[in-house]
Amino acid sequence: MSGATDVGRFEVGELPRGRSIRRFTSATTNQRAGAGIGELLGDVYYAAIMAAIGIGIALGVTGTLREALPDADAGAGAPTVWSLPGLSLSALVVAVVVGLAGVVLSLAGRLGPVSAGGPEATWWLPLPVERRGLLRPAVARVPAGAALVSGVVVGVLDAGVLAAPGGRVLSTVLAAALGAAVLVLGASLGQTLDVSRRATSVAGDLVLAGAVVLAVASGVAGWRPDGLPAVSPLGLVGLVVVAGALVVAVDRGLERIPSRSLRAGGAVASQAVGAVVSLDTRELGRVLTDASLPRRRRASRLRLVRGPSSALVVADALVVLRSPRRLVLLLATALVPALVGTAPELAGPVGFAIALVVGGFVATTTAAEGARRAEMAPVLDRLLPLGARDVRLLRMVVPAGAMAAWSLVAFGVVGLWHQDVPGWLALGVAAVPVWAGAAVRAAYRPAPDWSAPLIATPMGAIPTGVTSVLARGPDVLVLGLVPVLVSVFLGRVHPEVVVVQTVLSLVVVAVATTTTTLAERLGLSGESPAAAPGGAR
Amino acid sequence: MSTPPVIRAQDLLVGYGGEPVCAPVTFTLEPGSVLGLVGPNGSGKSTILRAVLGLLDPAGGTLEVFGAEVDERQVAYRTRVSSVLDDDAYFPALTVAEHLYLTARGHGVRGAQEVVDGILEEFGLAAHAASLPAALSSGQRRRLLLAAGFVRPRTLLVLDEPEQRLDRRMQDALAQRLRDERAAGGAVLLATHDPGLLRAVADAAVLVGDDESPLLSADEAADVIAQAPR
Repeated sequence: MSGATDVGRFEVGELPRGRSIRRFTSATTNQRAGAGIGELLGDVYYAAIMAAIGIGIALGVTGTLREALPDADAGAGAPTVWSLPGLSLSALVVAVVVGLAGVVLSLAGRLGPVSAGGPEATWWLPLPVERRGLLRPAVARVPAGAALVSGVVVGVLDAGVLAAPGGRVLSTVLAAALGAAVLVLGASLGQTLDVSRRATSVAGDLVLAGAVVLAVASGVAGWRPDGLPAVSPLGLVGLVVVAGALVVAVDRGLERIPSRSLRAGGAVASQAVGAVVSLDTRELGRVLTDASLPRRRRASRLRLVRGPSSALVVADALVVLRSPRRLVLLLATALVPALVGTAPELAGPVGFAIALVVGGFVATTTAAEGARRAEMAPVLDRLLPLGARDVRLLRMVVPAGAMAAWSLVAFGVVGLWHQDVPGWLALGVAAVPVWAGAAVRAAYRPAPDWSAPLIATPMGAIPTGVTSVLARGPDVLVLGLVPVLVSVFLGRVHPEVVVVQTVLSLVVVAVATTTTTLAERLGLSGESPAAAPGGAR
Repeated sequence: MSTPPVIRAQDLLVGYGGEPVCAPVTFTLEPGSVLGLVGPNGSGKSTILRAVLGLLDPAGGTLEVFGAEVDERQVAYRTRVSSVLDDDAYFPALTVAEHLYLTARGHGVRGAQEVVDGILEEFGLAAHAASLPAALSSGQRRRLLLAAGFVRPRTLLVLDEPEQRLDRRMQDALAQRLRDERAAGGAVLLATHDPGLLRAVADAAVLVGDDESPLLSADEAADVIAQAPR
């Protein structure tokens, strides 16, 4: 015992319970916000309606997609890229569900799962009250969210893609929701036992990678499951029991979670919620990616730097190369068209078009991380003696290089399918600048304009200022890839199409390096382009 | 039986990912004394404070607070250690007075409202007692954080650059507060860039650096800060 004395003339009584501190905070907040049970029910009502509309749209889209794909029976005998049994649609859905489990676990690690961020970390955690009472709602937050999202996604896949009957869909949805909750609660239990958040998120990433391996193995082995595994009522009860046991175990271990873990997860969760609420996918990606990176100093001699231009390119390349996760993601997205090529029910124009556009956009966005970070902290943009257009042009180098390699795999697979590898590779190479331009245009998009007018639709109001900003990047991608998409649906590459693709690529590069919007050029916006990152010259 | 010092750090290494951010530091902090941590930005002062508060595991060496390894999960530890870091987070719907009341009540302080009223007066926040944090200036929010550090019982006070964003009058008041803290037997560990504050309150200071982190007298350390290139 130290000889130091308590300072201050305080008369100290019994410590309050953590629950009473939490209730004081929430009651005062609710009272000041005027939030009562009516407002709560109203919010729940609107959330349920929006969720129902979203699920309905997703079911419609997946149902339409299913009908556009080759028939399962006909597809079973259809040719694939390689002479393998092929990947069945049901096996693909199983792999996607395994991947979803990986995503849930990975996110659980990044977000805590038990966390206390912002004011809770500053004002609650230093108090000598028992933390169990403070943190109980935080225990339920992530498992509940994971259960909801997993149930909906698996339900849409089962009902929309696999056309499973209603009763089976219900049991699958319940099993998915409970399974996701059990996964997150398991991660929470690990947190109470001092398992690092990074270890949990890496475990999730490995499960996600395992889903890709499962898909490839299914294609090689010709595994054709009869839909998602059915879960019996007894199995559901078992999941409920496991979830309940985990809740009790986590609750008992809450006092063991150190502040640093609660604060770190809370910081990520606060930023992620802010990014979601403001529909800032760029910030969301940054937050969740950084949360899994080891925090250590790194040094590089940067021998390839010869001047400002090469400094910018080398810096962007380092951002990508120092993240194994990004490299794995690039490889995984290149394998998507390959997987589609092995699936008799998917290997067609629709399947290849979706695989190329979605996989390619994820890949090019991953490779353009340097530009995405520069929009937030334009340090190099402002320090180096380069014009704004040059900066954007140079920031296309890394995504262009990555997408050139990506295209060799992805377009090579399509070429194998159509037995014209040189033609498709030429088209893929000609389209490389489109990917790079779209990624840089998306990276340098301005913040969403919430003050722009709303358009009323039967599904609710659409904020035009937000949607127009979110469309920057994908807009030139879709327009710039029209020759590719036409070729995919025609099933062959005409030499003229390659020429058109080359011209369109140059147009996309020109658009992506522009530092002013059309509204600014027409004098319809008061915002100065110099105020934007990368435009300060 | 001799009583252990409030803090004993022996060849303490702090850092991230196992890599130290500064040279090992060695110091002891006794009851009724004030120790400063000085050094340039990024030298590792705040990282040392975070280790003392249990927000970071030491990368090496020994660190004991109240004669034991740091474990902020222990209620006894949180009861005795008060800290003011560079956090700038507040409950948006709680007033200034309610933030302080929450802290005082959370420590079981009887007559918390009277204690809060006194602290509000002392830190020049009485006129803003009913204000929400968003309505405060940066300096007033800093005063609120500092006030929270003093509105509760404590044995050890850990402050990270407490002079930041304070006007001269408030800086003088803070210096007096810290002298009173020392006179009452409290121990204070503070990181600072202010040579005046260091001279006014500290008994000694560690000059945190990359190659070595020597223990200097308060005047020597204040001279180092004052002579540092701007």
